[in-house]
Amino acid sequence: MTQTSNKTQGPILAAPLETGAIANVNGAQRGGFLARIGGNLQYIRGRGALEIGIIFIALLVAFSIASLASPTTFPFLSQQNLSAVISQSVPVFGILGIAAGILMVAGEFDLSLGANVGFSAIIFIRTSEAFGWGWGILAALLTGTGIALLNGLIVVVTRIPSFIATLGMGFFWVGAAIFVNGTIAPALTEGHGTDSTLVALFAGDYGFFRSQLVWLLLIGAAAWAFLHRHRRGNHIFAVGGNQAAAKAISINPVFVKLMSFAIFGLLVGFTSILIAVQTSSVQPGTTNDFTLMAIAAAVVGGCSLNGGRGSVIGMVIGAALIEVVQDGLILAQAPGFYIQLFVGLIIVVAAIFNKLMEGKAS
Amino acid sequence: MTTATTTDDYLLRVEGITKKYGQNTVLKDVSFDIGKSEVVGLLGDNGAGKSTLVKIMSGVVPMTSGAYSWDGEKYDSVNRALTERLGVETIFQDSALVPGMSISRNIFMGREITNKLGFMKIKQMDEIATHILDTVVTIEGIKSSRQLVQSLSGGQAQAVAIARAVHFKRSLLILDEPTSALAVRATEALLAYLTQLKGEGVSSVLVTHNLHHAFQVCDRHIVMNHGRKILDVRREDTSVEELTAAVVEGAEGVRRFREGKPL
Repeated sequence: MTQTSNKTQGPILAAPLETGAIANVNGAQRGGFLARIGGNLQYIRGRGALEIGIIFIALLVAFSIASLASPTTFPFLSQQNLSAVISQSVPVFGILGIAAGILMVAGEFDLSLGANVGFSAIIFIRTSEAFGWGWGILAALLTGTGIALLNGLIVVVTRIPSFIATLGMGFFWVGAAIFVNGTIAPALTEGHGTDSTLVALFAGDYGFFRSQLVWLLLIGAAAWAFLHRHRRGNHIFAVGGNQAAAKAISINPVFVKLMSFAIFGLLVGFTSILIAVQTSSVQPGTTNDFTLMAIAAAVVGGCSLNGGRGSVIGMVIGAALIEVVQDGLILAQAPGFYIQLFVGLIIVVAAIFNKLMEGKAS
Repeated sequence: MTTATTTDDYLLRVEGITKKYGQNTVLKDVSFDIGKSEVVGLLGDNGAGKSTLVKIMSGVVPMTSGAYSWDGEKYDSVNRALTERLGVETIFQDSALVPGMSISRNIFMGREITNKLGFMKIKQMDEIATHILDTVVTIEGIKSSRQLVQSLSGGQAQAVAIARAVHFKRSLLILDEPTSALAVRATEALLAYLTQLKGEGVSSVLVTHNLHHAFQVCDRHIVMNHGRKILDVRREDTSVEELTAAVVEGAEGVRRFREGKPL
């Protein structure tokens, strides 16, 4: 299309014709329903969640067919598997994936995630035992948020990379958990720290699904609305994607980063409650694996390691994909090392894929 | 050393700006005006103090001492909130936009259209962004305002950034090395935009070390050398050769150029 098309009034800024740098291309902009769907797909793709979603759905279909074909040897669709594995482990992991993912979008990492989960869970159990679980929930949320905010402060004040700051603080909080609690795992006991209401809220078994799945849906919806639809969420993308540009437009990167750390901490504190209620007892120092698994979920779900790119749906699918692969391998009675082997491969392939996407997405 | 005549009809006036980082003085007693609807070239070699000056003008970095006046009014403390209110917009080299965000979200970044709870009105933002791309600036090859900025070329991205500034009625545009990453054609287009912006009543400061680009469009040139302003001259009173001498050899270069040049 050329300059001569459908305009009554020219644009304010037009490059000289001979440069060829201008041409009116507006015709392509508006399309029908299909064009809009195409646009939306492209948008999701740009956020790195399209391909992983397709892979995840393909995997679910494959597992379901396998399960229907041989329900006894591969009971993927059994109530036991759906309830105990899928709707228990996927949500815990999914919420941690959202937490790590939001922080990654802001351009930061928190490697003390696992230690934070452990410390917050211990605070939850001990506070619940002493004062009731209402106070326990409050204490766990405050602890999780506080630990993460402290990390955030260290990062924005000293400007050392969050990778190192939170690595160190992770060790600190593992030690602190044992310092505060001792090495004996604290436990929730019936009539003191726990009762049927608490279990119904955070680990209730409702046949094919459990409370954790409901929490994942609620938190996922809230996180999506915040990150993708709220102006503060938009600022997280801006700061993570290009801090200088965000600053130039008068977004305060320090505030945005602290806010991201706080949201991260709140979600981690909440997950520690889910884990503590599900298992009734948390041994200090046993939650460290969560850190890299949560980051892996975010990476698999399309979050950029450099910040500024990611989607809540991708983070959840990333977590779910890793968990479902694990589940499938366990159901197929594959030896344990297969799980690490496959999960490791998924993460590396996803990271390479993301790298390629960063250059090419449109 | 000549100084362009100053009037009271300026947009931005800085007087005696000094900036120290610890023991290190990067700007020494720099004064100049930016007129209304004027394109000013800020020239100098690497390390001349251009970037620091840009940061001070845009309020990102505080000055150690000096005065900052805008349209006749003097401001004691200058920060980004003030310059944002005054209408200063800085387009940093290669980094005016966020690559992972759509054109529409980039245009409204930090100035989102929201409801009372702060949730963005995405559809409205997309529509206005499309309108901006239609009416403010024409850019070849942009299909939709929802396209991610990472899919744009350097020239397209610069044009979007300029369109954003125009849309939000910015009155002073500071472009930090805008042409360094651009192809020839895109550079031509960008320089043309700057000239057209004058017609919209927008002043701009073009920071560059490409003298030919600056000479093409700027009404006035300010040359920095080792933290000092060594030349402030109208286009009709200078030449690319004199500017080259100033940038490369500093004040001494200007003096020798003028002595050696028969009038």
